[in-house]
Amino acid sequence: MKAPPVSADAPAPATSRVYMPEMGRGWWLRQRHYFLYMAREFTAVPMALWLLWFLVEIQRASNGPKGYYPHSSIGFVVFSVIVLGFALYHSYTFLSLAGVIIHIKGVPSRLIVLSQFALWLGASVVIAAVLIGFAR
Amino acid sequence: MNHEATRQQKPAFAHLVWWFLFAQGGVIAAILIPVHVLVQGILGPLGIVPVVDRHYDTWVRVLSNPLVKLYLLVLIALPFFHFAHRLRYLIVDFGVPAAKSVPAQVVFYGGAVVVAVVTIWVVLTTAPMSFG
Repeated sequence: MKAPPVSADAPAPATSRVYMPEMGRGWWLRQRHYFLYMAREFTAVPMALWLLWFLVEIQRASNGPKGYYPHSSIGFVVFSVIVLGFALYHSYTFLSLAGVIIHIKGVPSRLIVLSQFALWLGASVVIAAVLIGFAR
Repeated sequence: MNHEATRQQKPAFAHLVWWFLFAQGGVIAAILIPVHVLVQGILGPLGIVPVVDRHYDTWVRVLSNPLVKLYLLVLIALPFFHFAHRLRYLIVDFGVPAAKSVPAQVVFYGGAVVVAVVTIWVVLTTAPMSFG
């Protein structure tokens, strides 16, 4: 890395240069925080794949009673277990952010985060009840 | 409104739309996805609990409900606007600044729009709409 000019009065170089930060490919493996940041960004990939797979299952319902079959393979279950890990990490990190993003006068941020987690729990119970309750 | 003011408002409005979709997609993904993955991806296929999508008749009955169609559209399409942003920056962080460019934005957010359109098509064509 080049040293900055000694003072602000130092003569400017004849041609302007663009600052190009140097970042090695493995920079995110150097620190635990960097790794967790990248893991958080990466959660999008498995969740996107799972939703597309789910969309395929919905589409299969148009094949009629004989043509329909749900995802049942052990491979799909293993894939779902991995996706669940990433999905839970996204939920935890994203809902924890609510305390930073949402500001309500007189309401502590801990309470706002708690309300988000309560909403998550409530929604999960309702959805699970519908998915299981309408089955046979 | 003068010309200068119009020019200043445009990017702000675009930001509002994309940030709204990004944030809401993140909320939807956080609150709704884990339970679907757990119940439909793990518990159902393993036979631990009966799940609505295991049999054609129960699945179609639920899918024909317009509210369920709307719910599935929100569940599937909205998170992709969140994913598009995260994936783009994941690639930037892996050392590919080209992912910041306008063509890359068109590809990623355009991809999310394509998923939304396909989802609308799928939910509208799979099971005939009925309130029963």
